[in-house]
Amino acid sequence: MIESIGSLLVLLGAIFHFSAGLGMLRMPDAYTRMQAGTKASTLGNALVLAGLAIYHPGWGLKLFIIVYFVLMTNPVSSHALARAAHGIRIPMAGDTDIDALRDAQRKAGGSM
Amino acid sequence: MIRRLSIVVAIAAFGLIFASLAISYTEQQSLRPLAESYVRRVPQELGAPNIITGILLTYRAFDTLGEVAVLFMVAASVGLVLGAGHPPRSVSSEDRPDEAWPSSEIVQSGAQILVPLISIFAAYIIMNGHLSAGGGFQGGAVIASCVLLMLLAYPQYQPNLEFLSIAESMAGALFVLAGIAGLIVAGSFLDTRILPLGQFGAFFSAGTIPVLSVLLGVKVGCELSVILDGFRP
Repeated sequence: MIESIGSLLVLLGAIFHFSAGLGMLRMPDAYTRMQAGTKASTLGNALVLAGLAIYHPGWGLKLFIIVYFVLMTNPVSSHALARAAHGIRIPMAGDTDIDALRDAQRKAGGSM
Repeated sequence: MIRRLSIVVAIAAFGLIFASLAISYTEQQSLRPLAESYVRRVPQELGAPNIITGILLTYRAFDTLGEVAVLFMVAASVGLVLGAGHPPRSVSSEDRPDEAWPSSEIVQSGAQILVPLISIFAAYIIMNGHLSAGGGFQGGAVIASCVLLMLLAYPQYQPNLEFLSIAESMAGALFVLAGIAGLIVAGSFLDTRILPLGQFGAFFSAGTIPVLSVLLGVKVGCELSVILDGFRP
């Protein structure tokens, strides 16, 4: 019973990883691809490792530390990448009107 | 059309090569004689559960010393090549033309959380080189990744290059001194049995292998940090 719950979590995580890969291929521009890769792969990673922790309770602490590390690094690095892409003005997909970062920079005055 | 066809042909050729490799692969059931003698002798003679580290820091320690020397030369030449086109360090950062953008608050907070974690992990890798996977080279690379994160989060951050070069030289000199001590006390250059072997698998065991690991880690970490600092805009 417990093993099947663990397997189910790993499978769920694999589905999220698959959707991350699909998003990388299908999304129209750099920013949306980035968010697809980051969000889905962070959640997928956490789910796979949670499933493993149910499978092998002895590994729990180490797996928890790995999940913590991924939760700390993955969004931060993708945020930095997206800001850098915005900074060198990589164009957004055609029908995007809202650019919150540009508006905030204009409001702050001067180029950040 | 021809281009696409040639791509398909290339992929098919690669597939053929790897398929033949995969089909002809048979797992070896027994160790080769050389590997077997290492597997038998390293835990017995050196008291190190991690056979790879035992080989790298004892039987092939001279080779490891050479590798570190090569890395030092890489650091020096990268500094030479990248440092040539720069205004000298004494010029204040406001006057430099291609100043890096400031990083965002999220990156800086992330760095504040991650740098201690990464440092602890690097120390763990270095100190457990003789017990589990790890060792000086790997841990040194992790230390350098810490410095890289600092450079990304705080573009104004200046690693103390003098301290780095002094620490690196000290580590290298101590490594050679440990080797000479092995020559005097135990019988061959870089023999690790000048300290007691201790209990097999304990933290303080395996002679000077942990000491050499720490020295290697400091040396590699300092060298890679100097290289990374050379890439500053």
